[in-house]
Amino acid sequence: MSPSPLLEVTNLVTHFHSRTGIVKAVDGVSFALRRGEVMGLVGESGSGKSITGFSIIGLIDPPGRVEGGSIKLDGRELVGLPSSELRGIRGKSISMVFQDPMMTLNPMLTIGTQIRLALEAHEDVSAAEGRKRAIAALRQVRIPEPETKVDFYPHQFSGGMRQRVAIAIALLHRPKLIIADEPTTALDVSIQAEILVEMKELVAELGTSMIWISHDLATIASIADHVCVMRSGKIVEAGPVLDVLTRPKHPYTQSLLDALPSRAKPGALLARGAGTDAAPPPRLARLAESGRRKAEIPYFVIDAVGKRFQQKAGVLRLLAQKMGIARPAPSVQAVDSVSLTLTRGEALGLVGESGSGKSTLGRMAAGIYAPDAGHVLLDGEPVMSSGDRPHKITTRIQTIFQDPFASLNQRMRIGDSISEGPIAHGLVSRAEAGHYVRQWLAAVGLDPAFASRYPHQFSGGQRQRVAIARALAMQPDVVVCDEPVASLDVSIQAQIINLLIRLRSELDLTLIFISHDLSVVRHLCDRVAIMHRGRIVESGTASEVYDHPQDPYTQRLLAAVPVLPVA
Amino acid sequence: MKDISPAARFWAEFRESRVAVIALAVVLLIIGVAILAPLVAPQDPYDLANLVLMDARRPPGFVGSAGYTHILGTDAQGRDLFSAILYGLRISLQMGLVAGSLAFIVGVSLGIGAAYIGGRWEAFIMRVVDLQLAFPAILLALVLSAMLGQGKLQLIAALAAAQYAYFARTAHGAASAERGKDYVEAVLSTPLRSWQVVLRHIFPNCLPPLIVVATVQVASAIALEATLSFLGVGLPVTEPSLGMLIANGFQYMLSGRYWISIYPGIALIVLIVAINLVGDRIRDQVNPRLKR
Amino acid sequence: MLGHVTGRIAQALVVMLVMSMLVFVGVHAIGNPIDVLIGPDVSQDIRLETIARYGLDRPLYEQYFTFLGRILHGDFGRSFVFGMPVLDLILSRLPATLELTLSAVCGAALIGIPAGIYAGYRPDGFAAKIIMTVSILGFSVPTFWIGLVLIMTFAVELQWLPAGGRGDTVAVFGVEWSFLTLNGLSHLLLPALNLAFFKLALMTRLARAGTREAMLSDTVKFARAAGLSEWTVLRRHVLRLIAIPLVTVFGLEFASTLAFAVVTETIFSWPGIGKLIIDSITSLDRPVMVAYLMLVAFVFITINFLVDLAYVGLDPRLRKAGSR
Repeated sequence: MSPSPLLEVTNLVTHFHSRTGIVKAVDGVSFALRRGEVMGLVGESGSGKSITGFSIIGLIDPPGRVEGGSIKLDGRELVGLPSSELRGIRGKSISMVFQDPMMTLNPMLTIGTQIRLALEAHEDVSAAEGRKRAIAALRQVRIPEPETKVDFYPHQFSGGMRQRVAIAIALLHRPKLIIADEPTTALDVSIQAEILVEMKELVAELGTSMIWISHDLATIASIADHVCVMRSGKIVEAGPVLDVLTRPKHPYTQSLLDALPSRAKPGALLARGAGTDAAPPPRLARLAESGRRKAEIPYFVIDAVGKRFQQKAGVLRLLAQKMGIARPAPSVQAVDSVSLTLTRGEALGLVGESGSGKSTLGRMAAGIYAPDAGHVLLDGEPVMSSGDRPHKITTRIQTIFQDPFASLNQRMRIGDSISEGPIAHGLVSRAEAGHYVRQWLAAVGLDPAFASRYPHQFSGGQRQRVAIARALAMQPDVVVCDEPVASLDVSIQAQIINLLIRLRSELDLTLIFISHDLSVVRHLCDRVAIMHRGRIVESGTASEVYDHPQDPYTQRLLAAVPVLPVA
Repeated sequence: MKDISPAARFWAEFRESRVAVIALAVVLLIIGVAILAPLVAPQDPYDLANLVLMDARRPPGFVGSAGYTHILGTDAQGRDLFSAILYGLRISLQMGLVAGSLAFIVGVSLGIGAAYIGGRWEAFIMRVVDLQLAFPAILLALVLSAMLGQGKLQLIAALAAAQYAYFARTAHGAASAERGKDYVEAVLSTPLRSWQVVLRHIFPNCLPPLIVVATVQVASAIALEATLSFLGVGLPVTEPSLGMLIANGFQYMLSGRYWISIYPGIALIVLIVAINLVGDRIRDQVNPRLKR
Repeated sequence: MLGHVTGRIAQALVVMLVMSMLVFVGVHAIGNPIDVLIGPDVSQDIRLETIARYGLDRPLYEQYFTFLGRILHGDFGRSFVFGMPVLDLILSRLPATLELTLSAVCGAALIGIPAGIYAGYRPDGFAAKIIMTVSILGFSVPTFWIGLVLIMTFAVELQWLPAGGRGDTVAVFGVEWSFLTLNGLSHLLLPALNLAFFKLALMTRLARAGTREAMLSDTVKFARAAGLSEWTVLRRHVLRLIAIPLVTVFGLEFASTLAFAVVTETIFSWPGIGKLIIDSITSLDRPVMVAYLMLVAFVFITINFLVDLAYVGLDPRLRKAGSR
C-alpha cells in the first residue's frame, strides 16, 4: 500500500454566481499530491487552473463559492471549515505565491515589516527575533545583503527580487504545500530561469509539495514531476510530465503542443494550419506601380538612431537649474545609436527583455516616436518629417500593437476603425469603404458582417485580427509588430502567427517583429537582432544566432529558455 | 449576436441597480414637473392677484379662500407652498443645468485642449486649474457673485467659474490617458485634423468619467445656488429659487411654522439625492478597479 | 528634499502675490464703499475729504502698492465699519472659527473613516447600506438646511441645546475658548455637528471607495494567503494603502471648512470670521474682505504644503527618489 497522499482533491466544484448565470469555473476536479511532489497545473485562460489553487487555500471571494467536493490535507477535510480555522492553515500549512510581484507586496511597508506580519500571523515573536527571522528568510531566497535589504521598501527592488521576497514569505512557516500561481509569467526569461532553479532546490530541501500553475508547458516541464491539463473547469489529462508531453493521449493536450512554435519547423503553419481559412486580402490596383523601386539603395534603413527619455522640467525648475540649485531630472537612454538595414520582403525579429529598448526602437521605425539622433529611411525617403514637431509622412509603414484592448477605439464600430485611415488617405472612397472593409475582415478570417460591431463584442484574438486588418488596410509595405501575440493564449497565438505567415507571403510584406519570446521570433523571422540596454548586441540569420550565439548575453538568454522534452 | 453599442451596454449595466433606476426616474420626473410647472401647479404663486394675506402662514391641509386645499400650506405672503416649490424647482434646476453645462464646456475644452497641445501651455493651464481646485468653490462663488452683483446671468457665471476646474482636471486626466493609448498613436499617423482626432477619438472615450463629474457638479451647483440665495448674495428676490424659499421661511421656523422652510428643503434634497444616486451608480460602473 | 521644500516655498510666495493682486482687484469691483462710509446727505466737501483720507481717489495700482507695502509691515488697514485695525478684528474672531472647524473636521474623520472602512469591507452588509444611505444624504443635503433642521429639532422642539451664540468662554493665553466650559460646549455641539455632516459623508465615501478597491487588490489577497487575520489586514495593510487620499482630503477639507463656516456661522450666529466676511460683503467693508481672502489663501497654501510633506512621510516611494 502506498503512503497516504498529502493532498487529496476529490470532485472539487467551484462556481461563480453572476447576474447572467452560473460560471462553473471548477467543475469536478480530482487529483492527489504526494509529499515532496511538484505538480504542474496547465491550461489556457478561463480553464479554472487558478480558481482551483484559490479553492484549495480557501480564498474564493463572493460571488464565487466552493459548491462541493472534498479537499483533504493530511487527511483533514478543508471544505466547509470555519474561516478562523482556514486562516490558521493559510500561511502555515498551505501558502501561495502570486503572479505579479509588482502588485502583491504592500508598497507602503518595509519588506521586514511585511515578513514580520506574516510571522506574527502564526507565532508570537519579539521584534528582535522577528527581524532576525526576516533576515534569515531573505538569505534563504538568495537576496544579497539581507541585513540592509530587510529595511527596504518594495519599490526599491526589481520584479525578480520582489518575487523572491514573496517566496520567502510563503516559505516562512515551512508549509507542507505551496501553491505557485504563474509565479514567473510576469518576469523576464533570465529571471524566470533563476527563480525556477531556486524554487526547485528550495522545495526539495524543505520537503515541501508544490502545485505549479502555469499556461506554459515548457516551464512546467522543467519543474514538475506530474502534470494535470485543465480545460473548462475539468482535468482532461493527467500523468507524469514526460509521458503527457511526449505521448499525449487527449486531443486537447495534443493541440496545445501543436500550437507551440518551438515544436514546429520554422515558417510552417502551426496547429495544423488553424485559423488560415480566410479569403485573400484585397489589393488596390493603383498602388501596384509604387512597387517600382530604386534598386541601388537599401530598402529600409534605420541609421544610428537614438532616443532618450527625460522628465520635462517646469519653469521654476529650469530657473533653478540655471542657478545651479537643482540638478536636471534623470534621463534614460532607451535606444543608443542603433543601425539596421532590411531588404524587401524580409522579416526581422527584434528580441530583448523588458527595458531593452526594443519597443522604443520599433516605434521609431514605425514613425510614432521621432528619434533624437539618426534617421529612418524607406526607399531613401524619410519616414518622419523634420522640424519642430516631426510627424509621420508615409503610409507605407504601419504598426500592430500588443494590447488589442488599447489598440482599438472602444467607441467606434470596427468597420469605421478599419476604414478611417484608408478614407483619410484617399486609398478608397467613402462609397467603396464598406466593401473594402468587408474584404479585409474576410482576409483576416472574420465574418464580414462583423463590421458594424464594437470592440467589446470580440475576444482578444478576434480583436488582434481586427487590428491586423486595420494596419494592412493601409496597404503598407513594412509592418512593425510590437509583441502582437504576447497577451494571447497559445492556441490563439498559433492562429495569429499562421495568419501573419500567410498574409506576409501573399502581400510580400517586410516585417519588423518585436518580441520577448525567442521561439515565436525564430518561427516567424529570417533574421534576428538581440537587444540589450538600448543596443543591439548581436544580429544575423535566425539559425546563426540561435545555433551559434556569439555574444555572452545572447548565450545566457538562449540558455534561460525552458525547453520541452522531445520523445 | 446583435451589434451592441457601448452606450447600450452601459445602459444595460446601469439598469441592474434598482435604486439607480428609481433615482433616474425621479430626476426625470422632477425635470418634467419643473418644465410643466405653469400647467401643473394649482396656483401661479407670483401672480399678485392670487395672494390673500389672510391665508398667509397656514399649515399644510389648510383650505384657502380661493377654495382649494393648500396641501403643503402657505408661506408668509399667502402663496400656495406646493406651487411655489414647483416654480422654485424650475429656477433651481435651470441654474444647476445651465451653470453645469457652461462649466462642462469650458472645463472640458481646457482640459482636453491642454492634454492635446502639451508642453508649456498644458503645464500653465493645469497649474491654474490645480490652484483653483485647492480653493473652496463656495468662497469663490461668494466673492464672484458679490463682485458681479445680483442677477441670474451673474450667478451662472459665478457658479460656472467656481466649477469648471473639476471638469478640466478630469478631462485632462482622461484625455492624457487616452492620448497615450495605441489606437490614438495609430490614428495620429493618419492625416486627420487635430480637432477630428479629438472629437472622434479622444472626447467620446473621456465621457464616462466626465458624466460622473457632471452629475456631482450639477447637484452641487444646485446646492450652491440655494446656499448663496439663502445667504442673500445669490439670485435677486424676483427669482424665487428653492434656496430663497427656505431663507424666507427661516424666520418663522423658531415660532414653529416649520413647513415654510422644510418642504422646499425636502424638494431640494430629493432632487440632489436622486442626482447623486445616479452619479454613484455610474461611478461604480466606470471604475475599472472594481471590475473583476 | 531641501531643494524641494525651498522650491515649494518659492512657488507659494508667487501664488500669494498673484492672489493678492486678484483679491485686491476683485474686491475693488464690489460696490462703492464711500456710500457705506458716509450718509447720503453729507456735504460734498466731507465726501471728498473722506475719499482722500481712505485713498480712494488714487489710481488702483497705486492703492495696490500702498496696500502691499502696508501688508509687509503687518498692517492690513482699518475696517470701514468697525473702525479698528483689520488684523486685530480678524484675530479676535479667528479662535471661534478655528474651534468650530477643528472640532467638525476631527469629529468627521474619527467617525467617518472607521465607518467608511467598515462599509468598504462588507459592502453588501446591512450596516454598510445604512452607512451609505446616511452618507449620501450628508453628501447631498445642503449645509444650511441641515442647520435649520438641527435648530428646529434640538433648540426649538426639544429645547436641549441653545440655538446660537458661543456661550461661556474661558481665556487661555488671552484667547477666548468655548470648548472648555460646559455651557460653551453645549453651544458648540450643534454648529460643529452641522459643519461636520458634509465632511463626515465625504470621508466615509472616500474611505469606503479606497477600502473596496484595496480589498480586491493582490496585496490583500497575498496577506490573507499568508494567514493574516482580517483585523491585521485592515489595520496594517488597508489603512496604509488608503492613507494618502484620506490625508489629502483631511487637509483640503479642513481648509474648505474654514470657508464653509460662513454658512454655519450665519445660521448659528457664531461670532467667527465666516460671519464677519458675510457682514463685510453686505456692508462693503473692503479692507476686511481683502484681509479675509488673503488669510484664507494663506491657510490654503500652508495646508497644501503640509499635505505635500505628509505625502513624503507616508509614501516611501517619494522619500528616496532616484534610488531603486
